[in-house]
Amino acid sequence: MLTLDKLTRRFGEKVAVDRANLEISDGQMVGIIGRSGAGKSTLLRLLNRLIDPSDGHILFGDKDIASLKGRELREWRSDCAMIFQQFNLVGRLDVITNVLTGRLCGMPSWRAMSQTFTPQERAFAIQALDRLGMAHTALQRAETLSGGQQQRVAIARALAQEPKILLADEPIASLDPMNAKIVMDALRDINKNDGITVICNLHTLDTARNYCDRIVGMQDGRIYFDGTPDLLTTQMAREIYGAEAKEAFNEAATSTSLADAKGARQPETV
Amino acid sequence: MSITLLNAITPDDVARAQTAYPGAFSSKRRNLKLILLAVAFAYVCGSLWFFEVWKLLYPSELVGDLLRTIFVWRDLETWQFANIYRGIAETLAMAFLGTLLGTIGSLFVGFLAAKNVMTIGPIRQLVRRFLDVLRGVDQLVWGLVFVRAVGLGPLAGVLAIFISDLGTLSKLYSEAIENIDRKEVEGIEATGAGPFAVIRYGYIPQVLPVFISQSLYFWESNTRSATILGIVGAGGIGMIIIERFRAGLYDQVAFVVLNVLIIIFFIDWLSKRIRLWAIGEKHH
Amino acid sequence: MTDATVGAEGAGAGPSDPVSTFERHRSELRASRRVWNLVALGLFVIALALSINISQFFPARIATAITRFFEYFGTITPNLEWDVLFEGRDENGRAVAGSITYWYTDFWDYMTLIGETILMAITATLIGTAFAFVLSFPAAVNLAPNSTVYWISRRFLEICRGVPEILLALVFVFAIGIGPLAGVMAIAIHSAGALGKLFAEVNENASNRPVDGITAAGGTWAQKMLYGVVPQVAPNFFSYAMLRFEINVRASSIIGFVGAGGIGAELNRVISFYSDDRVMAVLILIVVMVTIIDLISERIRLGFIGRENFS
Repeated sequence: MLTLDKLTRRFGEKVAVDRANLEISDGQMVGIIGRSGAGKSTLLRLLNRLIDPSDGHILFGDKDIASLKGRELREWRSDCAMIFQQFNLVGRLDVITNVLTGRLCGMPSWRAMSQTFTPQERAFAIQALDRLGMAHTALQRAETLSGGQQQRVAIARALAQEPKILLADEPIASLDPMNAKIVMDALRDINKNDGITVICNLHTLDTARNYCDRIVGMQDGRIYFDGTPDLLTTQMAREIYGAEAKEAFNEAATSTSLADAKGARQPETV
Repeated sequence: MSITLLNAITPDDVARAQTAYPGAFSSKRRNLKLILLAVAFAYVCGSLWFFEVWKLLYPSELVGDLLRTIFVWRDLETWQFANIYRGIAETLAMAFLGTLLGTIGSLFVGFLAAKNVMTIGPIRQLVRRFLDVLRGVDQLVWGLVFVRAVGLGPLAGVLAIFISDLGTLSKLYSEAIENIDRKEVEGIEATGAGPFAVIRYGYIPQVLPVFISQSLYFWESNTRSATILGIVGAGGIGMIIIERFRAGLYDQVAFVVLNVLIIIFFIDWLSKRIRLWAIGEKHH
Repeated sequence: MTDATVGAEGAGAGPSDPVSTFERHRSELRASRRVWNLVALGLFVIALALSINISQFFPARIATAITRFFEYFGTITPNLEWDVLFEGRDENGRAVAGSITYWYTDFWDYMTLIGETILMAITATLIGTAFAFVLSFPAAVNLAPNSTVYWISRRFLEICRGVPEILLALVFVFAIGIGPLAGVMAIAIHSAGALGKLFAEVNENASNRPVDGITAAGGTWAQKMLYGVVPQVAPNFFSYAMLRFEINVRASSIIGFVGAGGIGAELNRVISFYSDDRVMAVLILIVVMVTIIDLISERIRLGFIGRENFS
């Protein structure tokens, strides 16, 4: 059980996430929707502690995530894998090493520094890649792959972390519709078969409706809607998206929402 | 597919993955890197031993004196400040004149070394080899040579800076000339202009900003190097530094070095401003 | 067309119409620019006059200087004679005057020193690169763990590169005695400073995304640097280190002037005590060494970058 209690994050004057309260039970697949700058990315980055909250608490079970430091913080990040809109792979490393970076947490430093991975870890990484149909690219440099392939490698890296929660920050916003479907199918498969909680920022409504058990709508940093997809009426969606409604209702916008790329990386911009 | 965990990977799985993707299990690149690192490390250790690294453990007892005197300044009335500031002025003058002469010389030689201007191959090659020789000898060596040739003093320093700048600046200038846009030159040629008019109106406007900024960079770097030219007697503050260092007047050396650092800082700032003023305005 | 537009907009605007405002602005700008140009020219002339005066750069002196330079050039040029040019030593071990053997009597002594010079440059470059590598991460504003560490490492690098090699060498010779170790230390410290700054700039241009990726996977700071940053910056680091090596070969060939090892001490000796063909002999060896090293280094750099891009 992941609990957010009045979670707040301010960037200077602007409140990116405003007293967000949420309870997410294990094994759910949650989609977070909202227009650019609504605070979706900030919320996910707070959960992984890539940024620190200004106020409020994050509880996982009875562990206070917001106050973790040092080794415990790294262990939490490892438990709570994250995939990004821009994949965030190390372009000049080969695919298998990229996946193996998911094992870095807790590794003895001499092994990490000399890039020494055990055969078991390598086989594990190969299995993770194989599951996403990417094992044949294991020795290629990550930067030589297409966007969709890179995102699948990023998911394999997340799997290599043996996570309890998988956070996905606009995972398909930079992909074409076909790759977007492959990636979303993979996330659903991980959720259903491995029982891993998946929390996923989505820009488009249809994707959220199709894939998620539960939808959370954000507006101006606040949780504005929380419920199953069938509770999300068109009227409600229009309120959440405001001026961007037209774009969001159009599934084809997935691959073309380049403007959103900026919004996703810099949550403080509107 | 079911849940995969690291600990669920059996030796069988490893063997299967290994036969399917053998490349993923060898780490040739990593091993190569580690071997190279080890070789480099061994080399450094060996050569340091060869250079008698243990001498670092037995520094001269005078080092203590040095450190003490650097921080405790005494007998300020005997420091001959006029001499020090004359040396600094000399340094600045050497750098300024040397860079100016080097720039003027390179304006000519640079065109002679550029492929697209000097189309006669042998002459170009001759000029380039000559420039290579000028560059191959360090500025300080030129300083030493000129001190022997024209005597102690700033004149030797100016000539040393001029000669080594001629070597480097001409090369940079000729590269800038080779990288220009042909179309503008053709436009001038099409008007029937002679070779000098082509250079004046076709080349100069394109390369001038590069020339100015390169020369300003060299002015900065020459100000730095002019401070040490005096070590071989080629004028400037370096002479004062080495004389007083050899005489054990470390407090004065510290004072001089401090002054030099401030001056260099100021010149860097000034050069940045000039670059902005000269190029920033011409570029719109 | 412009007139029509202006006419339509400026109708009835009177003295404040856009055209005259623009013209007035323009002439003001031009006037102030002319003043500044004149001021700059004036300052330049003053600086020039002062410089000429201070460094005694007068035509008469230059004229004698140039003739004396060519005279000097004559004295250091060897008297080679074509018919005995390639004569070896006779049975008594004496070389014939006018032969290359005679000119380069001390050839193997020089070669030993050239070898020492190159060794010094390699060692100093490796040590300098190692320190620069380690310091370049805390000295990059986007990677430093906190601002104190950043500030300290920046200032440290500035101090290292602020002091000229030859001054450092002077101090080291004073502290640990004459010999190549002083030169290696001086060049290594200066290289660490110069390279550290360049490396830090490369680091600052590295993409943050891979680093975020490693952070999100629970990596430590060192792991973030090694896995997220190093693969991005390694080719640039390598190029800079090779360029630095070329610079260091030059530096180690002169650092002997203050007794810090290498061929410089010999060069200083032959120039200061004998104005004869030995000066030219050593100078030629240095130029050849520098040229060969530059060529090799260039080949390695280009080869390395080429392979990196096409593999």
